[in-house]
Amino acid sequence: MAKFSTSNGLAGTPQAMTTSNKSIVSVLGAASAPRRGKIYDLMFGTIGTPADTAFIYNILTMTADDGTKTNVTPNPLDPADAAATTLSRANFTAEGTVGAATTSRFYVGVNQRASYRWVAAPGSEIVWAATANTGYVVVGQGPSGGGSGTAATGVTLLFEEQ
Amino acid sequence: MRNAGGYAVLYNENGVHKEADTFTCHHCCTVQHVAPKCDPADLGGLCKSCMKLICPRCANKGTCEPWEEQMRRAEASYHARRSYGF
Repeated sequence: MAKFSTSNGLAGTPQAMTTSNKSIVSVLGAASAPRRGKIYDLMFGTIGTPADTAFIYNILTMTADDGTKTNVTPNPLDPADAAATTLSRANFTAEGTVGAATTSRFYVGVNQRASYRWVAAPGSEIVWAATANTGYVVVGQGPSGGGSGTAATGVTLLFEEQ
Repeated sequence: MRNAGGYAVLYNENGVHKEADTFTCHHCCTVQHVAPKCDPADLGGLCKSCMKLICPRCANKGTCEPWEEQMRRAEASYHARRSYGF
């Protein structure tokens, strides 16, 4: 089972947050011969000039390889591993088919000046099924109750492909 | 918590380091943060069918539908549709 890293810093231009969901980076099963995948490490932090308000981060389901985005090639953590079959997309400028808030797998709000990391213990990863063009997307959102925070954020996902 | 399902590390706006255990719901794969000394009932519950920790949303459903089983069904459906040429 090979492990990979993907982030919205690999290609494209990180987009400013808004008060509605902004997709940052996604991982999806390949269109043909998809494999199961597991997100086991997630890191994020503001890469622009932060305001003293919150950003909300969510991992939502994604059920199509759509939206306007930049294609990213995940990097294997072990250089001896073959390239990932899992698709990764980043820096969406138009939202794709993203699940409702009830599909959230991870939800946390942090100050824009904060950085955050989550690491799963073995067996507690966020797993997606081996079906074509379905997986997860990390979305960010500025403060819905007002505020001036619109800085871009950097998100890195480490995942395992089965 | 014992046998935590993960770990979260936050450096807040003042540079102060904070940490929290997490667990992942066995029914919907949602990551839940465990606040220090919180009431276990506030975290969700222990499914008495699969004997795994589940989130409050799944605890309220009162049914046992492990995530692994849901993925297996989704994959079987996907392979069936592929075999029919869809």
